[in-house]
Amino acid sequence: MSKFIPRRNFLKKTALAATGAFVAPYILPGGRLFAATGNRIANHVVFCLFAGGIRNIESVGQERGNLLPSLLGGAGTVDPIIASGMDPLPGTPGNSLKSQGTLFRQFRYAQGPTGHFNGHSTALTGNYTLQDLSIKEPPKMPTVFEYYRKHSSPTQNALNAWWVSNALGPYPSLNFSTYPSYGALYGANFVQPLTLISSDGANALSNPIDLSVDEISKVNEMRNNFNASFSKSGIYGENAIVNSLADRDLLQNYIKQQLIDGVAGAFNNPWGVGASMNDDMYNVFFAEKIIEQFKPELLVVNMQGVDIAHSNFTQYCNNLRKADFAVGHLWQTIQNTPGMANDTILIVAPEHGRNLIPNTILDAYGQPALDHNSDETSREIFCMVVGPPGKVQQNQIVTQITGESIDIVPTIARILGFDQDVPGGMLPGRILNEAFI
Amino acid sequence: MQMLIKLNFRIFLSLAAILLLTEGCKKETDFVYEVNDVKVSKDKIGKGIPKSTVEFISIAYSDLIGTTISQNDLSKVTLLYLAFGDKRLIEDLLIKNIVNSTVVNIPTDANMRADINAFVNSTYLKLFNREPTEVELFTLNKQISENPSITSKLVYYAMMTSDEYRYY
Repeated sequence: MSKFIPRRNFLKKTALAATGAFVAPYILPGGRLFAATGNRIANHVVFCLFAGGIRNIESVGQERGNLLPSLLGGAGTVDPIIASGMDPLPGTPGNSLKSQGTLFRQFRYAQGPTGHFNGHSTALTGNYTLQDLSIKEPPKMPTVFEYYRKHSSPTQNALNAWWVSNALGPYPSLNFSTYPSYGALYGANFVQPLTLISSDGANALSNPIDLSVDEISKVNEMRNNFNASFSKSGIYGENAIVNSLADRDLLQNYIKQQLIDGVAGAFNNPWGVGASMNDDMYNVFFAEKIIEQFKPELLVVNMQGVDIAHSNFTQYCNNLRKADFAVGHLWQTIQNTPGMANDTILIVAPEHGRNLIPNTILDAYGQPALDHNSDETSREIFCMVVGPPGKVQQNQIVTQITGESIDIVPTIARILGFDQDVPGGMLPGRILNEAFI
Repeated sequence: MQMLIKLNFRIFLSLAAILLLTEGCKKETDFVYEVNDVKVSKDKIGKGIPKSTVEFISIAYSDLIGTTISQNDLSKVTLLYLAFGDKRLIEDLLIKNIVNSTVVNIPTDANMRADINAFVNSTYLKLFNREPTEVELFTLNKQISENPSITSKLVYYAMMTSDEYRYY
């Protein structure tokens, strides 16, 4: 079965070209300008990589109780054996995400090593990592951010595309690829908030010289003269994304404000959960800040706290609950953000699962730990597509084996209306049409 | 025999002294090669090696604070670089912060305006490691002279966020 996204055929191209001259772009009431060919399902996508390696057994299988009450609904009753190892969390307001979307209960990470970076790379490029993957280089195939920025019409700036990562290591390199004619020019704004929005960040970056419009103009004039007499341009052209000067000012002010707020204690207990707040939750919290500030059309945020399962099964379950709480909070924030409410589709999926057979490490509750070595169970994951009624199928569960990791990028492309513009052969996955009306 | 050796030695010393005196009194010849004297410094065209992140931070810190950044602080700032995708933005923000530091080592505005040419020359040498060309000297002098709002900090900020400062 071919999984290639069908290219726009000749007749369709010809028809569009013929009509293009007569079909002018239109402006929505919100002020957004679309090219007439961009047939979108929604104007915003938030993709939450519910990562770190999660087995279906504990997540949608609920073998240890309901560890995902925000996603699946119902009471969050946990297996009594490990219940005392759970940190307290309040209930998430509103309906479950499942009731607001479609759950692919038997999704698959079908090929490639079940490594975290492999899984992230697959989810963001729509291609399995079947060959050697260098953790020191950007992916070889374009990321969803590049497809989005290059093929959207009109072309989108990086303020509309964000990759919010819980970790450094190889993950910063996932905001663009080395693929010819894509690359940094179409990359996302990458941020790892836990490092940037910190006391070290505040010490180094929170007290910049404030420049008036006139002073900025003078600086630009001087800098232009310096640059004009120097033959080499900036070194970052191919190695990092570069925002426009106007967007740079917005971003710098945003970073500065976050740092000032952090120093003032605004982030000490932002969700009112006290010591239960872990790094995953903070990462989602800062993603929410970006959503509120920039209302991006495409944002990817990840969590990986559950990877503690290598040595502590009970904490794995505990962090699974926290990741669930964070996704519920994220959805509430989206629905409370004008411009994104009722116009955003949230996709939630782990990058891969974990082994069926545990390792030999027991935690304080006598529970054996779990690795992920590419057995069949470590390829079994779930995927949830949540969105407004009328766009996304509500309260639907797809129980048979349907969909896989490489389908997420084509699905995002379809939602944001550039699926027909991605060159044929680049995305082997398919659109998860079952989720949409 | 010993007498003969002493006599020969005296003759040798006398001849050597005469030789030295005559050579020392000889007038030195001035050769003119018909080229002007030049001072050797780094040519901007010769700058082809981009500074690494660590080099950029270290050099910027030294240029502005006048001391070497500690290894601990260098590691912290390097991590901040990694935590944001737009490196140029972080560099810009970092320079803005160091320029605004209370311990920054930048000439005062009064000093700058007292002798703008001297300020431009010394700033080029300090930050670009070369002297300005006549055109560069004239241009920057003119900008500073004609714009009272240009401060020495603004000049430093503009130079340190230019393309040339990213190379050595």
